[in-house]
Amino acid sequence: MTKPLLDVEDLRVRFHLRTGTVEAVRGVSFQLGRERLGIVGESGSGKSQTGRAILGLTPPPGEVTAKRLAFDGIDLLTASKRTLRTLRGGRISMVMQDPKYSLNPVMTIGEQIIEAYQAHAKASKAEARDKALAMLEAVKMRNPGRVFSLYPHEVSGGMGQRAMIAMMLVTDPDLLIADEPTSALDVTVSMEVLRILDELVSERGMGLIFISHDLKLVSSFCDRVLVMYAGRVVEQLEAKNLREAQHPYTQGLMRCLPTLADDVRPLPTLNRDPAWAL
Amino acid sequence: MLDIQNLQVVYGTGRMRVDAVKNVSFHVEPGAAYGLVGESGSGKSTVLRAICGLAPITNGRVLVDGQQVTTPRGKAFYRTVQMVFQDPYASLHPRHTVDRTLSEPLAIHGEKDGEARILQALKEVGLGPSFRFRYPHQLSGGQRQRIAIARALILRPKVLLLDEPTSALDASVQAEILNLLDDLRRRLGLTYILVSHDLAVVAHLCERLLVMQHGEAVEETTSAALRSGVATNDYTQSLIQASQGFTRVAPQPAQAPAA
Repeated sequence: MTKPLLDVEDLRVRFHLRTGTVEAVRGVSFQLGRERLGIVGESGSGKSQTGRAILGLTPPPGEVTAKRLAFDGIDLLTASKRTLRTLRGGRISMVMQDPKYSLNPVMTIGEQIIEAYQAHAKASKAEARDKALAMLEAVKMRNPGRVFSLYPHEVSGGMGQRAMIAMMLVTDPDLLIADEPTSALDVTVSMEVLRILDELVSERGMGLIFISHDLKLVSSFCDRVLVMYAGRVVEQLEAKNLREAQHPYTQGLMRCLPTLADDVRPLPTLNRDPAWAL
Repeated sequence: MLDIQNLQVVYGTGRMRVDAVKNVSFHVEPGAAYGLVGESGSGKSTVLRAICGLAPITNGRVLVDGQQVTTPRGKAFYRTVQMVFQDPYASLHPRHTVDRTLSEPLAIHGEKDGEARILQALKEVGLGPSFRFRYPHQLSGGQRQRIAIARALILRPKVLLLDEPTSALDASVQAEILNLLDDLRRRLGLTYILVSHDLAVVAHLCERLLVMQHGEAVEETTSAALRSGVATNDYTQSLIQASQGFTRVAPQPAQAPAA
């Protein structure tokens, strides 16, 4: 394997609270090349905090430590704020869960994409405008010119999410972190959004971290999957081998989903072994 | 048990007119579970809300047990029909204990013997008496949904309207709630109407289902047909396909699971 795009070793995220210290992420290590990596886990497993910590977006009073947290050779923990600012949104960007809350409600979608582009590239307004329109077209907007001048509340959830993706990809990032990008969308719309994401990632040769609670979706979309439980990676495997998962937690998660294919009743439930969290 | 005839729900007038539900009819036998599937905005939740009086019935009839419902619904109606909402984080009063939440319907309907009923209701949903004096924030998502189900069941209704009861929950917790609902239906002889966007969940719990799109009924089908992948309608077919997970347009050569 060539030099990894992202190298994470022993990542820990702690929150010091009045009631004691909560360790949300406890020693996560992985390397990412130009591939699609899925991070799966239930709520509270630390998957989102892992994604945020990479970008330096851990909310205060959270504390991030790691033996190594390097993006393309740049140490993200010791890098200056200035370096981080150029990386964030430039070479690493993030798509959040809900377009309703992550787009600016008082700016048109076009202006927001232009703003994102001009923050990282020296470009005239006209150039940025062309780029934004091209990007809206790349995310399969039927009428880019119209969407450009719409406000976020005027578009549907699926369109909003595609606009977000357009905004995040306009700077041609090397790494995209997508935190539950389709959870707020309908099944058929989310398939459409995933297809666009998939095309863009493979065309541009980006690395993608796809954070989701949906094991089935992740295994069909990603190349490799990390399964997290209580802040730890309990299993790491090739997505196509998900059926041969070794860890009882992964197996349990797979089995407890109702499927169209067969009718199991009652559904097997997950018996959590306290030893998994150790 | 439930008969919906040409139900129509319209919000607003003139330019602001929205036809949320257009001429939807279906019939649910006593003891059956009926599913409503569709995307957001397809009107599936509005049908449920129209049945229990949270949305206006513009046209058409809703019959419960052969009797047309009155607006506003009477106490007798809510003894027969109860609803469980999607998000247990939002549907329980944050400053009411479980005990208070469960005793409210009993008080409204002048039921006696509250304490025994509450303990019984907790037992039915698989929670012990120790949960009785907790606040919602002291419960997990799955436990909250169990309380919401207990609240709906405490009046011994015959029909339960379930609006996406598991979509706010993790997969493992979803399995527990689905098992509970399945079990309760058999034990108490309940009739369910389940709204969900997840075909697999609907197929698991229901025998028959209605696929909705843009406020219209697209296709009525059975879970068995769904499982065998038979759907006459293109839209239903696309839903079945989407529920199988993501598929690349050009299938990759390394798809054969041999080796």
